[in-house]
Amino acid sequence: MSETVVVAGTFAISYALILAYSVYLHRRRQKAGS
Amino acid sequence: MTRIRVLFGVAAAAMAVGLWFALTAPPDTLQGEYSRLINIHVPSLWLAFLAFGLTALGSIMWLWKQKQHWDRLASASAEIGVLFTAIGLFTGMVWGNAVWGRAWDWGDPRLTTTAVMFFVYLGYLALRNAVDDPLVKARRSSVLGAIAVVQVPLVYFSVNLFRTLHQTQSIRPDGSTMPSEMLVAMLINVAAFTILYVALMAARMDIARVEEMSREPGTLAGDAIKAPKLNEVKDV
Repeated sequence: MSETVVVAGTFAISYALILAYSVYLHRRRQKAGS
Repeated sequence: MTRIRVLFGVAAAAMAVGLWFALTAPPDTLQGEYSRLINIHVPSLWLAFLAFGLTALGSIMWLWKQKQHWDRLASASAEIGVLFTAIGLFTGMVWGNAVWGRAWDWGDPRLTTTAVMFFVYLGYLALRNAVDDPLVKARRSSVLGAIAVVQVPLVYFSVNLFRTLHQTQSIRPDGSTMPSEMLVAMLINVAAFTILYVALMAARMDIARVEEMSREPGTLAGDAIKAPKLNEVKDV
């Protein structure tokens, strides 16, 4: 695998984890109500 | 909620700027494109140290003052710290595999202490989930949160205290070992990740507050009725 693909994939997975956690927080907040 | 949305908007913009700098900074002569991983690896672990430091602060303050908001701060920060430690470990393994020829080495003090720190804070989260009583949960996790923070300086200084595969700090009191363009990109990402941490903390603490309110028992009709005391009955 080329360097660029590995680095791009690592960036993508890291940002996806942060995004997934943010979405999880958003859904949990909606479930908790106001 | 509006305040949290604004914080997430600012964090997203900061992360986008950070990504731009990470992808446009000149690559290292020896490590090539892999050197760009520093822009996620270092900010993630910086954030983990900050998060676990605030978990300790919240834990100590809860043990002292017994105010619920300190427990909220400690638990929210630990959860976010675990996420960023996982990202730091993952990016470090990819980077290590590329430049050291191996993703992991249990003989390396920096890697091993970081893994232990990750599992201890996973244990902290498991401990909180294992207890239902809010007071017992706060007390037990505060004791652990106040003690577990001793690992943070151990992880940070492990590269100075022991012989390791991992390099020593890039930013030292006597200056930086990095070219200025790479240093600027990394510091911008550190700032962006810190703003993201503030947004995630605000959201996570808000959820904890709302969930606590929903668990509080409402007023029951029986609360207004008091049983007569024996001496009151005797006087009649």
